[in-house]
Amino acid sequence: MSRSDVELTTEQSVQARSRAPWWKASAPILITGVVLLIVWAGLALFVDTLPGPGETASELGRMAADGQLWSIFGRITVFMTVCFVIAAVGGVALGLLLGSRKRLDRGLSPYLAALQGMPTSMWIPVAAVVLGTSPWSLAAVVSIGAMPAIMLGTRSAVANVPPLLIRAGRTFGADGGNLLRNVVLPAALPGIMTGLELGWSIAFRCLVAGEIFSGALSGTGIGEVIQRSRDTGELTEMMATIMIVLAFTLIVDRLVFARVQLRLRVSRGLIDTGLPH
Amino acid sequence: MSASVSLTDVAQAFPGRERARLALEGISLDIEPGQFVCVVGPSGCGKSTLLDLVAGHTRPARGSVEVDGTTVKGPGLDRVMVFQDHALFPWMSVADNVGFGLKNAGIPAAEREATVATWLSKVGLTDAAALHPHQLSGGMRQRAALARAFAMKPQVLLMDEPFSALDAPSRDRLHVELQQLWADTETTIIFVTHNVREAVALGDRVIVLSSGPGRIIGDVPVTLTRPRVVESERVVSVAHQVRRLLDEADQLGITTPREGGDSYVAI
Repeated sequence: MSRSDVELTTEQSVQARSRAPWWKASAPILITGVVLLIVWAGLALFVDTLPGPGETASELGRMAADGQLWSIFGRITVFMTVCFVIAAVGGVALGLLLGSRKRLDRGLSPYLAALQGMPTSMWIPVAAVVLGTSPWSLAAVVSIGAMPAIMLGTRSAVANVPPLLIRAGRTFGADGGNLLRNVVLPAALPGIMTGLELGWSIAFRCLVAGEIFSGALSGTGIGEVIQRSRDTGELTEMMATIMIVLAFTLIVDRLVFARVQLRLRVSRGLIDTGLPH
Repeated sequence: MSASVSLTDVAQAFPGRERARLALEGISLDIEPGQFVCVVGPSGCGKSTLLDLVAGHTRPARGSVEVDGTTVKGPGLDRVMVFQDHALFPWMSVADNVGFGLKNAGIPAAEREATVATWLSKVGLTDAAALHPHQLSGGMRQRAALARAFAMKPQVLLMDEPFSALDAPSRDRLHVELQQLWADTETTIIFVTHNVREAVALGDRVIVLSSGPGRIIGDVPVTLTRPRVVESERVVSVAHQVRRLLDEADQLGITTPREGGDSYVAI
């Protein structure tokens, strides 16, 4: 290994990979988007009840003009961020606890797996009615709903940490909380991230299921749109709202999850950056 | 900065399917402070178990393990292990890996950085301090693992086949470097290997174990001048002596093939 190679840091090697201009890097995403729009337009020609991209776009324009678009977008962001942060902190903490306590894991894991496998739309109405129909109660439902997936993901990630790293940690004086924080948690982080992504999508499902089935309000406005569409049978506003939610999840995936995953992989040498081995 | 290690009539067993399988039986061994002891034996003879006992990762089923006159009760920073697979933390830079144990020992940041810099320069990794383990070659990774271990100033250094996964040139260089590091620090080293020449090149003493269960069948003193290299004739001739002990015990019923009585096969 020559000197010049040694001076190349991890950050620089990542930069080298992403040096392509943004329009070139995001071209595949845009092309796929255009193809999907064409498919949608084609379907709308044959299905009378389905609003086409043109109508939806003009509805989006109206919603943007009277502020409804920004209001829905902003309220989704606030609601989902708060709920997800609570679910993530609670889920990871409980998952680490499960990973380090064998008996607790034995007792709880089967039920958590069952909860995760069951469709959320089945228990959401019950939970939402029991907890009430305020935004706070739906926030609790969403946070709790996302937790099993995050807990199970964290627990499996902890179980998959190579024992050699744990032995190395113990040999070099890490024990108890220190070992958990400085060895187990970073070693399990890629697996924990997978659990978090799963939890994120389940949280969104819980939100919409709560709005539809129990009349509980998240305050995001999605429920009102659903109610109006149901009453009138007019789907344009619904499609426009779907587009807003789609844009929101796409942005979160690209700006948060995809980036964090890339960083984790690069720092652990899971991406071939072309350096000598 | 070194301690004596003594094992008295140690036996260790692992739970088997039907009955416990003995890994070690009747091991009695006294190691003086600062001595470099190599342990050789066929695979599965309990070499690594011996290290685990001294490291405190497991307790003996019978007998006692003492370091510096005190019975070993668990892992401690006075006994540090170097693993066959470097076992560096992949998410940390080389410098952070070397400083990991020092941080756990509560060494203040400034002193820690100085110690890390010193040991990185001793193993020739100053330029690689900011890199992650996956960006290093196999030899460099094992050097980083050596720096991480020596930086702790351990009383006893336990090495579990640390060089067996390396290419021959890297291994030869590390043999010389290890002897220098040991001479500088005077720490007690227990070095487990399946390579007889390596054991003779490095050790003051070579302990020969038989397999199933592991028993000490030879204790060969090596008084050759240092630094030694594996190819030297003097090393090879002592290695033959150790080999013969292993052959006499006829481990696994296989006698090492020798062409013209001179070929050498490491098991």
